[in-house]
Amino acid sequence: MTGDLLTILFNAMTWSMATFLVASGLTIVFGILHVLNFSHGGFFMIGAYVAYTVLNYFGFEIPLYAYLGGALVAAVAMGVVGVGVDAVVFRRLQNVEGVYVLIATYALLLVCDGFVKLVWGLNYLSVSPPNGLLDAIFMGDAILPTFSLFVIGCGLVVFLLLEGVLNHTSVGRTLQAIAIDPWMARAVGIDVSAVYRATVVAGFALAGLAGGLLVANQSLSPELAHIYILQAFGVVIIGGMGSIRGAFVASIFLGFVEAVSATYLPNYPGVLFFATIALVLVIRPQGLLGKEATA
Amino acid sequence: MINSINRRTVLTALGASALATPFISRRSFAQGSDPIKIGVLTALSGAQEFIGNFVLTGAQIAADQINAAGGINGRQVQLEVRDDRNAPADATTAARELVGLGAHLQLGTISSAIALAMGPLMQQEGGIALTCGAGTEKLNHENYSDHVFRPGDSPYMRNRAEAQLLAQRNPDVTTWTGLVPDHEYGRTTWAVFMDGLLQFYPEIAKKEVEILDPIIVPYGVGDYRTFVTQAARTPANGIYNSTYGGDSVTLFQQARPFKLFEDRILMDSANEFIVAEALKAQTPSFWTGIHWYYETNKGNPLSDALYADYVKKTGNEQPMGWVAEAHAALYAYKAAIEKAGSTETADVIAALKGLEWDTATGKRIMRAEDNQVIKDVEMIYIEPDASDPKGYKVTDYVKVDGNTVIEPAMPGQKMELRKPT
Repeated sequence: MTGDLLTILFNAMTWSMATFLVASGLTIVFGILHVLNFSHGGFFMIGAYVAYTVLNYFGFEIPLYAYLGGALVAAVAMGVVGVGVDAVVFRRLQNVEGVYVLIATYALLLVCDGFVKLVWGLNYLSVSPPNGLLDAIFMGDAILPTFSLFVIGCGLVVFLLLEGVLNHTSVGRTLQAIAIDPWMARAVGIDVSAVYRATVVAGFALAGLAGGLLVANQSLSPELAHIYILQAFGVVIIGGMGSIRGAFVASIFLGFVEAVSATYLPNYPGVLFFATIALVLVIRPQGLLGKEATA
Repeated sequence: MINSINRRTVLTALGASALATPFISRRSFAQGSDPIKIGVLTALSGAQEFIGNFVLTGAQIAADQINAAGGINGRQVQLEVRDDRNAPADATTAARELVGLGAHLQLGTISSAIALAMGPLMQQEGGIALTCGAGTEKLNHENYSDHVFRPGDSPYMRNRAEAQLLAQRNPDVTTWTGLVPDHEYGRTTWAVFMDGLLQFYPEIAKKEVEILDPIIVPYGVGDYRTFVTQAARTPANGIYNSTYGGDSVTLFQQARPFKLFEDRILMDSANEFIVAEALKAQTPSFWTGIHWYYETNKGNPLSDALYADYVKKTGNEQPMGWVAEAHAALYAYKAAIEKAGSTETADVIAALKGLEWDTATGKRIMRAEDNQVIKDVEMIYIEPDASDPKGYKVTDYVKVDGNTVIEPAMPGQKMELRKPT
């Protein structure tokens, strides 16, 4: 029984932190720019493929430093892509109706799909977890894979960094001011356009970082863009649109829902997850942490 | 005389000719020296695009081979290719368009949902569809149609052959569970596999099997650890997997630290080389069903030529079996048209029923009663091998006689299966 609970707890946290890693960039872009980026999963996917390409040079044995280096390369690459996407697409989306944002970012997702097929092809690919993270810790009945511990650790580090920057630095306070009232921010001399660009770059870099850190967590294929994005949107919506703290809390909450559902309702996978999202939205339409904690 | 032709007569004649046009044009396509148009309707985008590309390549190789050898009754084969987008609505639109173009003989269906939609559609449009991997058992049971043929092994044959092989090779592995995806195909394959275990273990191994509840897993997610944990906690010493493609790669990868497959026998329903190509040296050792493995069929001229042409065309030395399914389907049309001396739908249907023809996997017989082919079922055993550039190798391969695992023809009737008591 203790083993069951520990396993549920552990699997829930792994799911939560993997989802949070993907959702963090999505949340930041929405929180500051109010752009719901449907293409986020696409850039997460390209980040994973970039990391795969880097790690391919190491064959079957990947040192931890190389794995982390691959993730950083993916983050930088997607950050650079973010500069271009901001100039060409996002800059034009700031004062248009939501439906145009949806169409534009969905089109970007299709571009990402096509790019991956063109460069890496249709084959299913995978990356081995780095050396030292291939096994598991056995605690009684519970089995705790070391790579899962790594994913949980990465999620916590990214959350603490974002939380620290957004809520405890002048940069974060500036971002919050722009998110709430960009006109007033401009009036007091803040270069809002530059902040918007930096936000997009940060959002894309986080997508790339998530792709690189999670590249050994699942298979790589042009379907990868769609695998996390549904649950990442669930986390963003439940957490309170645009709130990093809310996304973090929501990812843990939904992670437990998912793990409990898989353990106790195995014949109805996913049902409890969507029922919970619906229920939360009925009770708290603004999400768990609502507006008060917006970015 | 001219005065006797009034407006009503003209309209009647025009109407009649408009109604007759499809049949007239179809007959005109069926005769003379024009190329024979064959529709290739398969998934060239969407979730099944990966497999659809193998189907298309197999059809193209078969067409090139047939044309190089003089065509069919002296007429060249011309492929008309359309993307079914893995969606029945798109597939039926494209199938109608192909019929309109004169390509009423079609092949390439991978998706079960599309294969089931083809029955009424082809009956209505006067065409024929040959599937290339569609798994639903309903095709030759509840939803049987005269116009749809399965020239490959059915899930009934495949999964029962897998159970038969296990009873022969692993008679002591008598406690089984399954990793079964949450859709109809997953549940059907598990049900058939159970049926095979319940028949062949008592018959061959002289032992009863214990079948545990399967682990039902969701489709297309990024984390299967909870399901892996459940499987690892069962007392099963044999695990059956019918998850597919990227889901299997993710699941097998995440199962590694749990050592789920290390001291258990793993039978994979249909991933062929998908998992091993992705996981390389990380792959577990496992049996998997395959439509065609060139090493198993070495010495068969059609297989050797298909493999050589595939490698030449793609540069890839590890073809998946779906290549041979499309190849066999086009050769089935060739044999049927030659037998019938016609490309008329009714004539080709009549010729396909009971047809015996040579393929890359050997002789196949299309059972006349339910349009289900009788062929050998192939399986390969894959093991990791870090010293191999691919990261894995095939260490064993077998063929199971299709006659020993196929069900009696029961078109229109539901499949009957053994269940654990």
